[in-house]
Amino acid sequence: MIKRIIARLDIKNNFLVKGMHLEGLRILGYPEFFAKKYFEENIDEIIFQDVVASLYKRNQLSLLTNKISKNVFVPITVGGGIRNINDIKEVLVNGADRVSINTAAISDKKFIKESVKLFGSSTIIITIEALKIGENYKVFTDSGRTETNIDIFEWIKEVQDIGVGEIILTSINKEGTGKGFDIELYEKASKICKISLLAHGGTRKYEDVHNLFVNTEVNGAIIASSFHFNYYKELLKKKEISLKGSTSFLVNKNFNNMFFFGIGDLKKYLKSKNISIR
Amino acid sequence: MKKKLAGIINISISNILSIKRSLEHIGFNVIIIDQYQDIDKLDLLVLPGVGTFKEAMKKLIENNLLKLIEKAIQKNKKVLGLCLGMQILFEEGEEFGLTKGIGFFKGKVENFNKYKVEANTLIGWNNVRFNNKNKLLEQHALVANKFTNNFFYFVHSYFVKTEDENIEIANSTNGEVVYSSIVKKDNVLAFQFHPEKSGENGIIVLKNELINL
Repeated sequence: MIKRIIARLDIKNNFLVKGMHLEGLRILGYPEFFAKKYFEENIDEIIFQDVVASLYKRNQLSLLTNKISKNVFVPITVGGGIRNINDIKEVLVNGADRVSINTAAISDKKFIKESVKLFGSSTIIITIEALKIGENYKVFTDSGRTETNIDIFEWIKEVQDIGVGEIILTSINKEGTGKGFDIELYEKASKICKISLLAHGGTRKYEDVHNLFVNTEVNGAIIASSFHFNYYKELLKKKEISLKGSTSFLVNKNFNNMFFFGIGDLKKYLKSKNISIR
Repeated sequence: MKKKLAGIINISISNILSIKRSLEHIGFNVIIIDQYQDIDKLDLLVLPGVGTFKEAMKKLIENNLLKLIEKAIQKNKKVLGLCLGMQILFEEGEEFGLTKGIGFFKGKVENFNKYKVEANTLIGWNNVRFNNKNKLLEQHALVANKFTNNFFYFVHSYFVKTEDENIEIANSTNGEVVYSSIVKKDNVLAFQFHPEKSGENGIIVLKNELINL
């Protein structure tokens, strides 16, 4: 199978936000503008994640998904605050193809089994947030806020035995930092994971994605900041209405030192390195 | 110009919104069909596809929709099958026990897990190869493709390989299995992939195939 390039859009109160280590969120703009742009740039898939949903026990992504499905024709995954069968039904009816579940998977395994049976394994994705503490990787929930004492690799085995179709593995240590993917984590995880595995957290440059695909067996890379800031910069120049929120953090000189890239450029680079890509 | 009318068969909670949206995007008016009704006004009937073969056939029979599909085929309406909607147009499926299909196309739907495959459940973009042996292809709109690549989006654990080369427009590969990914006979066209989720390629193929009915 070819490697997938996936854009992740973190949503808070209907705005696209981005933070670091899953925290310190900044508003970047209206997610529908970003999603449409990414579709036009040949993205393979889009993930919408309500980053505060499980904290406040709510789900606001259905309306957004419904709106976006008017002009985005690639698979859409919705996550954040999915706690029961009705939550899944609601997002699917509104245009999502798949759901990703994290917090509820740990507190309610029966729910996962039931949803796999009802919606099929390809519809259910489990998100795992990993934090490296010393030499061990532990499972976290609620966007990195709550620690469990579960070992990442044990949890991966358990999750795939339940029959879910795919796992998203987020490295909290690397998320939003641009320090590259945690190759050690993904190498180890992809060896024990027989189902599709997606890596999320840490991309800064093309080479990070290339390294990930060469050194591990993951099926896809999930990228947020690099794509968002690249498009944001374009929008800033054009003073587009899709901008919303504070731009002051982009004015400081660090902004120019940061590395952003578009989807097309990344794909061109990976193709030139003989990575099998769409 | 008056817009053409497409009807999407609704048999479950499957995601028919994106199919509806993609058809609207290329210029159709779309209605959802939950039960048997008059189809004279329809230009296109769509059988969508999420769920299992057995469950889909059961619901089609229960809601009298099987009759509606057969009538559409008889009346030479354009019929489009997608994913599971393509599979049930074949003779038989083995998902959760042998089930008789609509039988318009010759062939049996099988599970990938009996073979050496790359993935038992295929989720993702797979290559679609157009069958050069097929004479039908020469007259086929797909020949005039404008694709920059041949990747389309697939989600399936079951596949069908038709023995009738005349109906196979294109095929795809999963490990040792070569399966049919586009089939066409008379006015019935079916894709194993999801054109509504296949990016620009999907929109092109839908436009080419459906808009000049």
